[in-house]
Amino acid sequence: MTGAKDRMREKKMKNQPRNVTYTSSGRGTGRGQGSQACGWVRGHQPGGHSYSQDLPKYITASYFAKARAAEVNAMLKAVSKPAGSCHVFNALPNHMRRRAMSHNTKRLPSRLREGAQRLAERSQRAAEKEKKQLPRSRSRRARRRHGNLLLEFNRRQRKNKWLETHIWHAKRFHMQKMWSYCLPLKPTAKSFRASYRAMNTHALLQDLSYFCCLELQGSEEQMLRALARLTSKQTGPTFAAASCLSGARQGSVHLYKADQFPQGCLGPADFLWRPRVPDASDRQLWIWIHPDLKQEVLSELQLVCQCSVSVSVSEESGPAVERSAGRKRKRDEDDAEEPSKRLLGDGTRPAGAPVRWQSPDTTITISDLTMEIVRYRLIGPLAHVVLTDTLQPASEEPSDAVSLHQQQTEVFQLLRGVCSTAELPAGCVLGLTVDDPRLTLPQKRGKSVPDLQQSAEDDRLRDLRLTGVAAHCSQSALWDTSARERVTHSRLSEQELNRMRSELLVPGSRLSADGQAAVPLLLVHQGGRVRGEERLHWGSGWDLLLPKGWGMAFWVPLVYRGVRVGGLHMSVKHSQFMGQPHFPHDYPDCPAGVRFQSEQEAELLEKFKRRPPSKRTNYIKHGCLAPFCCPWQQLTEEWEELVNLSTENVSCCRTGASDFTVLRSLKALRRLSAWTRPPSRRNSSTLTHATAAALQQECGPSLVWVRLRLLGKGQPALHAMVCAPTTSDLQLLLQDAHSSGPQEPRHKDHLKHLRQHKTSPEEPARAVRGVFPAPLPSVLSHCSRLTLGWVTQGDFSLAAGCGEALAFISVSGLLHTILQQPQEQRGLVLLRNPSSLQYRFARISIDV
Amino acid sequence: MAEPRSPVSASVAHNPMVPAPEGSTLEVDPMEFTLRKRLPRKLPKRRNDVYVNMKTDFKAQLARCQKLLDAHREICIHGLGLAINRAINIALQLQTSSQGALQLAANTSTVELIDDLEPDDPDEAAEPLTRTRNNSAIHIKVFYPNP
Repeated sequence: MTGAKDRMREKKMKNQPRNVTYTSSGRGTGRGQGSQACGWVRGHQPGGHSYSQDLPKYITASYFAKARAAEVNAMLKAVSKPAGSCHVFNALPNHMRRRAMSHNTKRLPSRLREGAQRLAERSQRAAEKEKKQLPRSRSRRARRRHGNLLLEFNRRQRKNKWLETHIWHAKRFHMQKMWSYCLPLKPTAKSFRASYRAMNTHALLQDLSYFCCLELQGSEEQMLRALARLTSKQTGPTFAAASCLSGARQGSVHLYKADQFPQGCLGPADFLWRPRVPDASDRQLWIWIHPDLKQEVLSELQLVCQCSVSVSVSEESGPAVERSAGRKRKRDEDDAEEPSKRLLGDGTRPAGAPVRWQSPDTTITISDLTMEIVRYRLIGPLAHVVLTDTLQPASEEPSDAVSLHQQQTEVFQLLRGVCSTAELPAGCVLGLTVDDPRLTLPQKRGKSVPDLQQSAEDDRLRDLRLTGVAAHCSQSALWDTSARERVTHSRLSEQELNRMRSELLVPGSRLSADGQAAVPLLLVHQGGRVRGEERLHWGSGWDLLLPKGWGMAFWVPLVYRGVRVGGLHMSVKHSQFMGQPHFPHDYPDCPAGVRFQSEQEAELLEKFKRRPPSKRTNYIKHGCLAPFCCPWQQLTEEWEELVNLSTENVSCCRTGASDFTVLRSLKALRRLSAWTRPPSRRNSSTLTHATAAALQQECGPSLVWVRLRLLGKGQPALHAMVCAPTTSDLQLLLQDAHSSGPQEPRHKDHLKHLRQHKTSPEEPARAVRGVFPAPLPSVLSHCSRLTLGWVTQGDFSLAAGCGEALAFISVSGLLHTILQQPQEQRGLVLLRNPSSLQYRFARISIDV
Repeated sequence: MAEPRSPVSASVAHNPMVPAPEGSTLEVDPMEFTLRKRLPRKLPKRRNDVYVNMKTDFKAQLARCQKLLDAHREICIHGLGLAINRAINIALQLQTSSQGALQLAANTSTVELIDDLEPDDPDEAAEPLTRTRNNSAIHIKVFYPNP
């Protein structure tokens, strides 16, 4: 029983050796307390044998010394560390202690005064030492001088790279460090609905420069042959798609490991070919990928193009050390400021890593263009209005390709007449050369509105809408490295511009653009929602590709036209409203997706553990096996077993546990999509057991991406369970169209008794209360309804007006379920949130 | 404007428009295409333009037109395809509920709708084919006549 006395004793004895015993020979060492010679021992003596021993006849000095060395050390240690309170003041009995004796040593009897004085000196010295060790920092003014600030920024960027618009975002957004970049997450102001309205009716701006660009150069057939191994025609257009090959359109593709389709998915990528130049035979291809995928895709590309020889290495541009010591800088020195702010390498490779690879056999060269090109995305139906307001085609044409510039300018002017960004064909590309947009910066912030007068019916406008931009108008100088570098170096600094503004004769008039370099850029149209039947072309917009260094020069003028700015959170919501999977959240079969899921699980578990135990949701009682992480492999395996059992197809080729895949083949998706709808006379293929079995055989253990729409009430949450309804549930719905759905009976918490015991040392990983410990029991049949899958993104959808969820469900499970449903109610499932017992009805749709 | 009704992608067997050279017996395989309808062109929308469709509730559209009519002196109701019926219905109901104080003026027009034909095998097609078709639209001006 631990009382206060025992605790005090423990505290005092904590430095004393625990297992020193001395025998009654009296020779052993004990405490300095004196010789209680009756074999007093400390520590447990089992059996309680007699203490005394016979005296040895002789001793050997070395053995004796060795044996006693440990005890002597222990004694010295015990003696040197005064435990608990100071021994000077403890030597006095209680009735002689005074309050003031700690600082006034005269209150102590003379024999104790020296010890007290020594103590006082020691504590004073310690205080001085601490104070002295604080580094003396420079004054705030010195720290905030421009050159020193830039050095400080460079130092902070060594671990996580900053985008060009970082400082602008850091003042207005919550930032997060991800994928070795520091990225804006969401605005500090509450603006979710305003951002949604902007995406719906006006325009939303995002900085996507963290996407990595890989450039391939070489002969067309060799490149196509190599790249054909990374993609498959079944998932849609590949790199060789005819409309994209001419350079007129941007395409998007799913990348797989070489020759491993359908396993080994890596992730999605966007690509852009350079339009054919009449004389040159080499072509250039840009592949845009997410930074999380970059190393894997790069190694696959090197493997496939046989490019192993690295040619050039990225240089570290050191920070400029010279400073102007406070005077105004002269114009000829404006270059010296730039290097100190330039990014050292980029976030996905260490500085000094190879940047270009060449192949000895083929003529293909791979270059890594990460952070060389700035990418801004404008989303919304009025994105083109914002662009036509902000950008002015260059007034002085470049010396070569005058006619091309004129044609591009014409197409650009035509864009004003378009009413909505969604009218143009998806993915069309326009190259353009523009003036510095800072020259035409408006005095006040405004909002771009469409020009109501200028909607003339024009033949050229009609052609634009029908066929998009012609291939030769997609040419731009942005593709040349030399042109990019020249433009980056010839940028005017803000100081220069302000000086020019101050020298204007009429304050506030437009700055003239003579003698300034024109900036080549690319405008790429994004199609928005292209699959499915509802809200087509929602979320379409334009991407703006700029050379390095011009980020802020274009950002501020765009913001001044009244666009909302969004961060990572908004791009997830954008994908969600479009019904498309967002990388890396919704790619469970890619390695990057697996990494993301484990990180998300750790985060959610931490958040869960932070809540007090009595306020946590008990997921065991709710019957929710996987509130934080979804075990897809287990789900697909269990469904395969169930289906094999039910069809008694034991001889089915189950060659061990193969990894699950996500179904992306368009033909299979179309068939499934037709089967999950109530049959209409349009659907050609009929659903029978045979056809279902054939499809299942073709796909293997796979998941399919579906969109669920709740019929009535309910707001789906992350990792909600999608379950198959029983026939009685469907009957319930027939009788009452507004019924809320069945309820799950509460489960028992069988792990409760385990937690009652105190910490048992043989159980290192103690289960968190309320969560199922691994390994999980049968995922399929744990609840009263069979589990089909889980929701990865679920929320109340502002666009649809009801709860919508995006989920992955097992293909075999889906087929098994819809085979048993009556035809008019095909495609109905149940949805249950992890912290609730209520099932809600939802309708599945597969968008193709 | 009403969205094209049920823009379901259907498989259409379509002969590519490759002119066969005369005198040769060139057989061109029909390619499978998927039809995707594009949204019709949206005219610039002033405050008092109302586009009518078949998906939103009739009563809700009627209420919105009524509110706009109270705010502005005139509104313009647009309907495309099947929504022509609904637009006419709304205009007439507005007129009856105002006890004859409103006047109507209707115009019709033709709107060109564009369909994208996406080939199943994207590598084979020369360029993305688009097909246009025409549809009729109605524009009804509902206003309080000036005395």
